[in-house]
Order: sequence, then C-alpha cells, then structure tokens
Amino acid sequence: MKDKKEDQKHKENQEYREDKKVGVYICYCGGNISDHVDVERVREYVENLPEVAVARTNMFMCSDPGQQLIMDDLKNGTVERVVVASCAPSLHETTFRSAISRAGINPYIYEHANIREQVSWVHHGDQATEKAIKLISMASAKAEQLSPLEPIRVNAKKHATVIGGGVAGLRAAKDMADCGIEVALIEKSQFLGGNLAPLDKIAPTGESAKELLSTLALQVLCHPSITIYAGSVVDSFEGYVGNFTLGVKQVEPLPSKAADSDITAEADISDIQKTNETDKYKKGDYIPFSGVFAVDDADFSNRSDSQNLSVSSNWKSHVIETGVIVIATGFKSYTPNIGEYGYKKIKEVITLPELIKSMADSLNSGRLSSQDSFTMQKGSACSGKVRGLEKFLEIDGRKIRSMAMIHCVGSRQTPGIHQENDSGQLNEYCSRTCCTATLNAANIIRERYPSTRIYDFFRDIRTYGRGQEEIYEKASHNQVIFFRFEADEPPEIIESRESQSGKNFESNSQLNNFPICVKAKDVLTFGEEIEAPVDLVVLATGIEPNDVSDLVQKMKLPVGADRFLLEVHPKLRPVELPVSGIFLAGTCQAPMDIGESCNAAGAAAVKAAAMLAKGYVELDPFVAQINLELCNGCGACVESCLSDGALRIVDIKADGELIKRAEVTPPLCLGCGACVGVCSENAIDIAGWTLRQYEAMVDRIVAENILAVIN
Amino acid sequence: MSLINPDFIDEIKPFGEDIASVCFNCGTCAAICPLINDHFPRKVIRYIQIGAKERILEQAQELWKCLHCGLCTQTCPRGANPGEIILNLKRYVVANWRSC
Repeated sequence: MKDKKEDQKHKENQEYREDKKVGVYICYCGGNISDHVDVERVREYVENLPEVAVARTNMFMCSDPGQQLIMDDLKNGTVERVVVASCAPSLHETTFRSAISRAGINPYIYEHANIREQVSWVHHGDQATEKAIKLISMASAKAEQLSPLEPIRVNAKKHATVIGGGVAGLRAAKDMADCGIEVALIEKSQFLGGNLAPLDKIAPTGESAKELLSTLALQVLCHPSITIYAGSVVDSFEGYVGNFTLGVKQVEPLPSKAADSDITAEADISDIQKTNETDKYKKGDYIPFSGVFAVDDADFSNRSDSQNLSVSSNWKSHVIETGVIVIATGFKSYTPNIGEYGYKKIKEVITLPELIKSMADSLNSGRLSSQDSFTMQKGSACSGKVRGLEKFLEIDGRKIRSMAMIHCVGSRQTPGIHQENDSGQLNEYCSRTCCTATLNAANIIRERYPSTRIYDFFRDIRTYGRGQEEIYEKASHNQVIFFRFEADEPPEIIESRESQSGKNFESNSQLNNFPICVKAKDVLTFGEEIEAPVDLVVLATGIEPNDVSDLVQKMKLPVGADRFLLEVHPKLRPVELPVSGIFLAGTCQAPMDIGESCNAAGAAAVKAAAMLAKGYVELDPFVAQINLELCNGCGACVESCLSDGALRIVDIKADGELIKRAEVTPPLCLGCGACVGVCSENAIDIAGWTLRQYEAMVDRIVAENILAVIN
Repeated sequence: MSLINPDFIDEIKPFGEDIASVCFNCGTCAAICPLINDHFPRKVIRYIQIGAKERILEQAQELWKCLHCGLCTQTCPRGANPGEIILNLKRYVVANWRSC
C-alpha cells in the first residue's frame, strides 16, 4: 500500500519534470521587498521546483518591461501558468491578469503571491526569505492545477429602476432614459421633488426651487421611456445583476379616493396641501412645498404596459423586471428632541425648514390676502410689515425684532455631550449643507426685512464650494452678528416669562419685552457670557438618512456606522454597491447639496448605462460547480448556502430515470465555499479554488525541504 | 456678562464707515500687531460687533497705544481695515468719554 503511494508520487514528480509549465515572476518592488527578502535566493529555490519552467526577477514587475517578460514567455510557449510574487493582489492582480489577456491567453491561469504586505513589510532577514519561498511555492503548486475559466455571461435586461423621486432620482432617471434605457421610477409619495420641494431660494445662485424642480420633473414626466410609479414602494426583490425582479406596491390611496392619509416622512413639513386636496391636482402640477404631482387617473386604473397587475380595491401592485437599480432614497431633516434648545416646548423655537416655509408662505399670502379666501393653517402666517422706515419679518403675526440662528443641530453630535436617539445613535457627521442654507436664509431676511436683527451661533462655519464662502462674507456685510460656542457649552434658550420672576436677568427694560433670551459663552468674545434678547430662535437642523431598513434587508445593502448606505470604495467606486447592478445616487449615501446629488446621480446613471450597453454582464467565474456523477442529491449544500437561490435541488433525467441533483445559479453564487465544506461526496468545487488546488498548497506548506534549502 | 446691543453699530456710524461688521474674528490683526497686547486690536473690534459700549469706554486708553503702523490693515483677510476702525473708535471715545 505504502509502496504504491510512494510509487505514484514518484511518477507524478517525473511527469512534472517532463512538463514544466509554471512561470514564476518575483518583484523587488524597488527595495520594498528586496531590502528584507533575498529575492535572488528565492528565485534559485523556486526555479528548482518540479513544475516551474522559469523563474525571473524584476525591479518592478508591474512596469511595462516587467509585464513584457510575462507576455513574451506566454507567447513563445515557455510557460502556461503564471505566478507573480509582489504586492497585495488588491493592487496588481488585475494588472497581471490583463497582461496575460493581452498575450492572448486565458487570464484565469494566474496565481498571486503577496510577499510585500505579508512578508517584507512585517518580517526581516532569513525568516522573511523563508516565508516568501513558502508562499511562492504554494502559489506555484496551485497554479499548476489551474485551468482556463470563462467569465459568467449574464444577459442584462435593458431596463433600469430608480427608487426615489427626489432630485437625484429624477436626474438619474432622465440621464438613463436619454441613453435609450427604459426606466421605472418608484416614488413613495404622490409628488416628485423630495427634499428639493420644501425649499425656496437655493444658495448660492438664488434660483427658485420651484424652477429647478419643475424643469427637471417635467422632463421626466414627459419622457416616453420613463414610467412613474408614484405613491408606491418596493415590496419584494429577487434576482441578480441584469435580471432583477421588483414587486411594487402602492402605499397611498388613489387620488380620487384621497382621504386624510398620514403623510410620508419625506414631506412632513408640507402637510397642508396634501390632505383632502390631492384629487384636485393634475399630473404635472407644481404644488408648493410638496413637489410636482405625479399621479394621473389613468396611472393606476388602466396601465396598459404592466403584465402582472393585481387589484385589491384601489391598492395595486406591479412587477418590474429590470437590469439595474439606482437607489435614491434621500434624507429627512433632523427633528430635534423635545426640549432640545427648547424645541416644541417654547413656541418661538422653530427649525430652519419651518422658517423657510413660513417666509415663503408670507410672500404668497401677501399677494393673495387682499381678495383671495386663501386660508393658511395656524402657525404658518407671516409677512413683512413696513412702519415708517422700519421693516420687520413677521411670523405668526409677531414682529421679529431680532432672532437667533443656531448651527449644528442634529449634526456633529458628540458622545457624552449629546443625547442619543431612540436607537442609541448619534449623528457624528457634519451635514455639510446647513451652514450655507442658514446664512442664505439670514441674508434673505436681512435684505428683505432690514430691521430684523440676526444673531448667528455657530461651532464652526463651513460654507464650502463655489460661490458659498461669499454667502458667509455677505452675511457679515449684512450685519449678521456671529457667536461661537463649544460643543459642551451650547447656547441656552431662556424664556423671559419665567426668568423675570427667577431673577435670571438683570432688571433691564430692554430685555423684558423679548420672550426669549439666548445665553452663550462666546469664544469670539474671549469666553465671556453674552445674552441676546430675541423674538425667534431658528435651529439649523441637519441631514439624516431616510429609514430604508426594509430595502437594506431585502437587497442586502451595506450600511455605514452613520446609517447612510455604504459605497464599495469612497474614492475609486463612489456610486457602486457591492451587490453588482445596484447603484447609489444622492443623499441616501451622505449629506450632499443639490449639485452634488445630481453629480452622484449622473455618475450612477452612466455606470448603469455602461453596464447595460453591451446587453450582457460578465462576472468572475469563481462559483460553485457540481460534479453530477458524484452528487447524490442529498441537499446539504442547499441548506448551507448563504445566498438565497444560488443552489437548489432539481430533477434530472439519467438513463430514463428521474434523479435529484444539486444545481447552481452562477450569478447568485458568492463563491464562499460553504457548500463545499458540507458535501459528503466531495461533489462540489469552487472554480479557481478547487479542493485539489488547496491540497497542493497544503502539501507545500508541510514540505520539509524548504527549511533545508535555507539552512 | 454682556448684553448684545445691535444698535451700537449705528451709534458709531457718525464717526466713520461701518467696517467692523465684516471682521470674522480670525485674529490675524492681533497676531501681527507689534504691541502684542491682550488681543489688541481684535478685542475692541469684537466689542463693536456685540455693542459692548461700556467695555470700549473702560478700556479706551488702549486705543492710544496704537502706533498706526498699518500692519493689521495690510494683513486683514476680510478687508475690515482695523487701523481705520481704531481711528473711528478714537473719535467716538473723544466724543463720549465724559458721559461715562
């Protein structure tokens, strides 16, 4: 028995010697490797391995001459398998695979040995050389067992789905439709525009949100290739890149039956128009503070293009077959905790979105009030009053002589200082847009109502971007007075009503007329305590991602510690998700302004279009393969599978009999190998990582002659 | 404890143009000032911004230490012209010192 084994081993060794086919290419990395690894000694050893035809070294293997070495050896038939020993494969594996492709050879006959990060940067002297030899011998043993593979080719449906009808979703939908792709746009509310709709004058250009939104939304509404599913959410998700299937369910009742439904989170500031009134709107109407109405009667009652239409009363659902998905689910403005800076406890404390709405309403009501029976809801009436030369902002009919604006509310929260939300989380990030938005509003007020004084309390001011530093400077010219506070000593909002009795104030007649006093330790005044009497406090609330936990769960999307969706790489692949075929656009990823959201949306659209342009998608072939002769159909692999739908048991016909066997759906397979581990028959292998290849590597790890060479 | 007096900026208008508003308190003027004296001149400029009239009059003698070398005006990134502000304040103090 033993003899037989020895014999076979000897025979194999003999075969190797006759059929040397592996080329090993070892890199100096300009000293990065060669300072600690004796590269030439490694080469001498590796050269003598039974399967190695040639071993070469180069100062920089990734350089053009280095790559040429490999390509020449492949072209003239010296080698048939390639091992490069250099830096981490994340850096240059693709470089060398593509060099092999350029030589006209299948790129999957390649194996990488990392002798920089895993050797020369962490080991020194003989130990480093020894480890390099081991890693390269292993790679070489594996390389010998490699066989050419073909990438998995999946036909891609030339159809894209955008989730979210805010500015990013609209931009992405339009851009993809312009590339000739059919687009479905799913929006939870009945309006297009998302968080752009509740804005008024957009910084830094002063353009109106209405103009921006109407232009873009009408382009989308009129586009023949875009189908809008308004008032709907994604109900189910399955499939893989190129072939996703989405179930879409309507969440808001039909316009004709519009009842006083609860308002979705996206537009909670603008609930006036939404209740009982949606049936008055026509598709394409611009509704201030809600957006562009996107539902028409025909939309839900007789949509002709949907194959799978199920009707239950007025709530309908659709099935969308799509090739790629762009997620543009956006943000919601931070809602301060009750009592945070007095919010919801002191009526004079409001948020910046509330201020913007009040100011816009006041201009509208100013125009309408004379004859129109336009009724404003309580709490939203405001207007400017001219008395002699004085011109004050008015809110709730109250003259605002001075107001405080407080930055970083719900942003840059610090552990130990700020209160966690219900889920125990803090918004530790900067929301990026609120500084500019706050100072933009301050400038508008100072210019429109010059008698209203503004005190601006900030921790730091970052009006980043073109034309935005100018807004900060303009605020100074407009005599906005700035105060700076530290995170652990925020301004206190004190009601004068209570403090009059409590003796918090000096008996100052000037103070008593004001309902609120803002007290702060001002860094700019050398840490002195200052008091600012005001009629109004505005909180510059930050950006929080919308709750998309449902989509996250269904689509297995990665979420960052800040609760925003997480891209593959922040610099190199900023709009892609690890799930192939799903892209990110806009503020579901991070706080962005409108321009940045459109940038991201455009990038996502181009990535999506590029993916669909060929009509097919190519995926790495490192997936499970079933040996049907060994498989006994026990189903253990299916139970162990981590990716729903990647493995299943099917009936196949063999010798006129139906038998059960496992079957792989390659695009869904993660190549994790969980099934390989549980298969009692060794009937499953991961292509490019077979058990035989592992065995060859393990044999090299335990081989003793390596040490002999070193010593 | 200082109470903000936003009207002070109007009160000193007769003594010179309002340029103190555009100061963003970077402190470049205090760093370059050869007097190296207690945040001068940023401190008095800040007092104008928040309307701390008493503080200005209390510390009025500081203003007369200024050499008017012009370094602060040359280096001010916001063009607030601190040298000119000191002159304005001197005129204001001269007109008001008896009243305190």
